[in-house]
Amino acid sequence: MSAHPDSAAVGAPAVLAEVKPAVLPRPVLVANNRNYTWITDKICSLIEGPTPTWWWVCFIVAIFVASFTIAGLTYLVGTGVGVWGHRSPVNWAWDIVNFVFWIGIGHAGTLISAILCLLRQKWRTSINRAAEAMTIFAVACAGLFPLFHVGRVWMAWYLFPISNANAIWQNFRSPLEWDVFAVSTYGTVSVCFWYVGLIPDLAVLRDRFTLAGHNLRAWLYGLFAMGWRGSNRHWRNYEMAYLILAGISTPLVLSVHTIVSFDFAVSLLPGWHTTIFPPYFVAGAIFSGFGMVLTLMLPLRAIYHLEDLITQYHIDNICKITLATGTMVGYAYAMEFFIAWYGSNPYEGFAFINRAFGNYAWAYWIMITCNVITPQFFWFKAVRQNTTLVWVLSIFVNVGMWFERFVIIVTSLARDFLPSSWGYYSPSIVEIFTFFGTFGVFSTLFLLFIRFLPIMPMAEIKAVTQQADPHGGGDRH
Amino acid sequence: MSAPVPPPPAPRSDQALYVGLAGIATTGFGLMFSPLKMVAFAWLVGVMFWTAITIGMLLLVLIHHIFDASWSTIIRRQYEHWLSAFKWLALLFLPLLVLSWMPRHSGLVWSWMDPATPLPGGHGTVGTDVLYVKKSAFLNLNLFTIATIAFFAVWVFLSCKLRKHSFAQDADGDAVWTLKNRWWAAAGIPLAALSLTFASILWVKSLEYHWFSTMYGVWFFSNCVRGALSMGVLMMLWLYHRGDYAGLLNRNHLHSIGQLVFAFTVFWGYVSFSQYFLIWNANIPEETFWYNLREQGDWYWVGMLILFGHFFVPFLYLLSYKHKVVHAWIRPIVIWVLALIFVDICYNILPAIKDARGDPLPFLSLTLLWSLTAVIGVGGICVWAYLRSFPTTKLIPIRDPRIAECLVYHESSHE
Repeated sequence: MSAHPDSAAVGAPAVLAEVKPAVLPRPVLVANNRNYTWITDKICSLIEGPTPTWWWVCFIVAIFVASFTIAGLTYLVGTGVGVWGHRSPVNWAWDIVNFVFWIGIGHAGTLISAILCLLRQKWRTSINRAAEAMTIFAVACAGLFPLFHVGRVWMAWYLFPISNANAIWQNFRSPLEWDVFAVSTYGTVSVCFWYVGLIPDLAVLRDRFTLAGHNLRAWLYGLFAMGWRGSNRHWRNYEMAYLILAGISTPLVLSVHTIVSFDFAVSLLPGWHTTIFPPYFVAGAIFSGFGMVLTLMLPLRAIYHLEDLITQYHIDNICKITLATGTMVGYAYAMEFFIAWYGSNPYEGFAFINRAFGNYAWAYWIMITCNVITPQFFWFKAVRQNTTLVWVLSIFVNVGMWFERFVIIVTSLARDFLPSSWGYYSPSIVEIFTFFGTFGVFSTLFLLFIRFLPIMPMAEIKAVTQQADPHGGGDRH
Repeated sequence: MSAPVPPPPAPRSDQALYVGLAGIATTGFGLMFSPLKMVAFAWLVGVMFWTAITIGMLLLVLIHHIFDASWSTIIRRQYEHWLSAFKWLALLFLPLLVLSWMPRHSGLVWSWMDPATPLPGGHGTVGTDVLYVKKSAFLNLNLFTIATIAFFAVWVFLSCKLRKHSFAQDADGDAVWTLKNRWWAAAGIPLAALSLTFASILWVKSLEYHWFSTMYGVWFFSNCVRGALSMGVLMMLWLYHRGDYAGLLNRNHLHSIGQLVFAFTVFWGYVSFSQYFLIWNANIPEETFWYNLREQGDWYWVGMLILFGHFFVPFLYLLSYKHKVVHAWIRPIVIWVLALIFVDICYNILPAIKDARGDPLPFLSLTLLWSLTAVIGVGGICVWAYLRSFPTTKLIPIRDPRIAECLVYHESSHE
């Protein structure tokens, strides 16, 4: 046993002679000892092969579903925001619920790419590309809602501070204005991060299409590969760029959902104004994002037979993060309820009693069941190893997190300080269709992604194989 | 090939005990110059400071196991030794509990314990305060006592389990001990989170029981972990310069723990800013009074010190790689962070001592002196407990499944 060279300034300490680690091998990240060629062939074959029938079926369905959003928004623009079901006192409802829901889903991509990268979690490599794509598509879906809620969508550019010449002054004290900056920055950096990661893989596809004689495809992939040759200098710059983007993205993950939480927490409304909102929203966003990662990756794993790349260890880890963040969300629910009582503010206390036992109690208990109880099943190994069950539970997580935003937003508004103005909000059919359609928008984009771009970073996966380990993947000394 | 270097002689623990006893005696001596109330508050500062750090170490050991981490194996054993201090911390908390049960002194620290305690400004007594009456199901002496015992029981229990399994592995090299600790880590993290949250509410936040904030437990957690990481750096450096860690510790270990000190500096800033900002922005008197009190007299400058000293200084300082790995650079900043945790705890506890008009007594006072002696006293006992445990096992967990990875740890290994 020898220690690291940095520490070799003095003689080896006697305790080193006694070091004899117990045997507890780390799980492999690429099963069946697959070699580099197999990894390249496997991932590229998803793009190079003929388009599967199932893909066309899903794509047509997705386009059809997406048309609901297009139709809903066209009708809204042509008629007015009144076609949504917002009425006083609930002047904010599905629009902001859907916005926060989709933004939250995007967070897992950045967490996996950036934070797990900084934490040196190697297992992220099999899922980070798809999760990053998910981030971008989710942000696109999220952005639709506030964009169209402004009413005159063609004036939305007034939100940016470029229109002072028109004597339009943005309210920089409004967290909704902060959202504009937070979300647009987040979207931009996420696209950059995703694209930078894609460059080496696009070059691989360029080279393979060139060899296969597909000149147009080779040219297109080559265009976006930006002349990548895989030289030492390229890799060095790439690694540095990736690390810098990871560093930038990490505070962005926190800032975006923190500012989303400020949309509510800076107000005085009972149920909204509470100090734990920022970290609670961030934990909830990661929770929902990982739920969506499971929802998307498990079918992909089964259809494309990716079991050697997305191993049981990966699923275990995602389930455990879902369990941890779901429990954090549960902690926040409990703390909110407890402090609503402890704070002795009758309005705050009522808001929480009303959530649990009022006219929206059904929504509250769906939320608790899906977000707090459902992830607790992930304590059990047998559950984590049953991918069908994991997939079903991940759907519950998605549903629960949508309801969390609904509960926070609608129940607080529907019964605020003045009982004479209490009301009951129900969505209009236009709202329902518009939201339903965003799943089509998201699915369309995701299907295009898995058909035309490598869904996993080949180079990164190769770096975590046993062959890439100079110590042979053994006890590493 | 050179002969192995034998370890230096085990450090003496009795000196730490003497320092601790001297600190405790000096704090007790404070009763000759200050009222019992001031000394009791100072004692709470001392106990809270070290309890926070020890909870942080417990959390770091739990997190180490749940992540199946490798690099932190080198410092984990030292944390395990330090966890033996929990039982002594429970004992050191006892005077506050005994004081609470003494009819004459009940309500001295936690005013809600005595219904006869007058409210500031002549607004009746605690017993007639509607806000207290509403909270009395939670804020009562019986529950306080049971909860305090339960908190320490959880921490002592988890510590004993983690220590026992880790030490047993040194002897037989069985991987099952690692798996057992991993299981206890999964179960222990929620327990530790809940206990530290309610400990911070009952022991600190309830000092001004009108005030409330859902973020409080998270704030306390951030300070616990910052303190534990800073102490971890100090222990690493001490053991290196003593000769124990020479040949074991490398700059990557220091860089990784330095990065965590940096990360938790940001986290603390995030949590503290969020709490302050949301209360400031809402401007509701029921919440703002807590900060308003802390803008009076010299507490304003303490607030500024915390803002700049507890966030901006370590944040900017720790951006540099060199400042995280060069011993002469990282040592002062972790000492600074520990000092600021002390100030932060003072900021949360001491303004609860009010004059007849309800204004907080100044920060620069004899109470601060007794708080410092209490920190030295309780700290001396904790160090003594650590040093007593230190020679009972191997310096590092020699049979841990990840110890080999840890000793050759280099950051490009992405472990």
